[in-house]
Amino acid sequence: MIALITGGSGSGKSAYAEELCVSWHKSSRPMIYIATMYPFDEESYRRIARHRKMRKNKNFDTVECFTGLKNAELPEKTTVLLECMSNLVTNEMFQEGGAGERTVEAIMEGIDRLAKQAENLVVVTNELFSDGIEYSPETTCYLEYLGEINRRLGRAADVVCEVVYGIPVFHKK
Amino acid sequence: MILVIGGAFQGKLEYVRKTFKGGTGPVAEGESCTPEEVRQASVVNHFHLLVKRLVEQGEDPHEAARKMLEINPDLIIISNELGCGVVPVTPFDRAYREAAGRVCCELAARAAEVHRVVCGLGQVIKAGGNS
Repeated sequence: MIALITGGSGSGKSAYAEELCVSWHKSSRPMIYIATMYPFDEESYRRIARHRKMRKNKNFDTVECFTGLKNAELPEKTTVLLECMSNLVTNEMFQEGGAGERTVEAIMEGIDRLAKQAENLVVVTNELFSDGIEYSPETTCYLEYLGEINRRLGRAADVVCEVVYGIPVFHKK
Repeated sequence: MILVIGGAFQGKLEYVRKTFKGGTGPVAEGESCTPEEVRQASVVNHFHLLVKRLVEQGEDPHEAARKMLEINPDLIIISNELGCGVVPVTPFDRAYREAAGRVCCELAARAAEVHRVVCGLGQVIKAGGNS
């Protein structure tokens, strides 16, 4: 099964995605949490610490992946939670050694591989598209790439769910 | 308690006035309301601006929300749905956006009903909660 979980910042989408993984995961082997947030300041360390605390005791092994998703070494046949797509796109676009203009393709190659080898795949993404503000060409390009990936994931997923303040609102089920 | 959320300028207050029995009662405005006004209100409008004030003052908005509901458990709380945008540039805006999200998650969990208003139309996304 593949699920795409979206929502705004602070919407409770991570907690919901974790619960979904736990409910889908049928074996006792550890689930895999692919962490994509590159820690670069105190605020990001705090965010990461908060997430680690949240998923503690839920049987996740954490694998960090900042770029090159398709090269990530992961055990097969388990439940994989990738969090989150918005950070992965940032990394691929702006980090040295990232995919740059090939960001969408590079990430989708990684997703395709994950979808084949995982028992369940849950991808957390982000609703960044409704603030009505015109950004620099760079940021606009970022939004375009993330939007494209979200749409492709939406087509591939069995479940597409927007989390609104902790409440799941299903767009596809 | 009933929580009504949605983007800016979607007709949330008007929806509340039309939809709920308590919706026509006194309204406390999040931007400026005193605790006394909240005590006497049946609706708190622009709740996110109250959260903003509390964050500015270094107070815990979760505590404040709990207190508000202890005093006035049948409130209808209207809040803009924030967070569906690019990460804000300033640390304060990020903290405020985060706080508003977390408090609304808590309110949604406690609410008897949660309505989401888009283009003036309400969608019930939670019904049959306990409080």
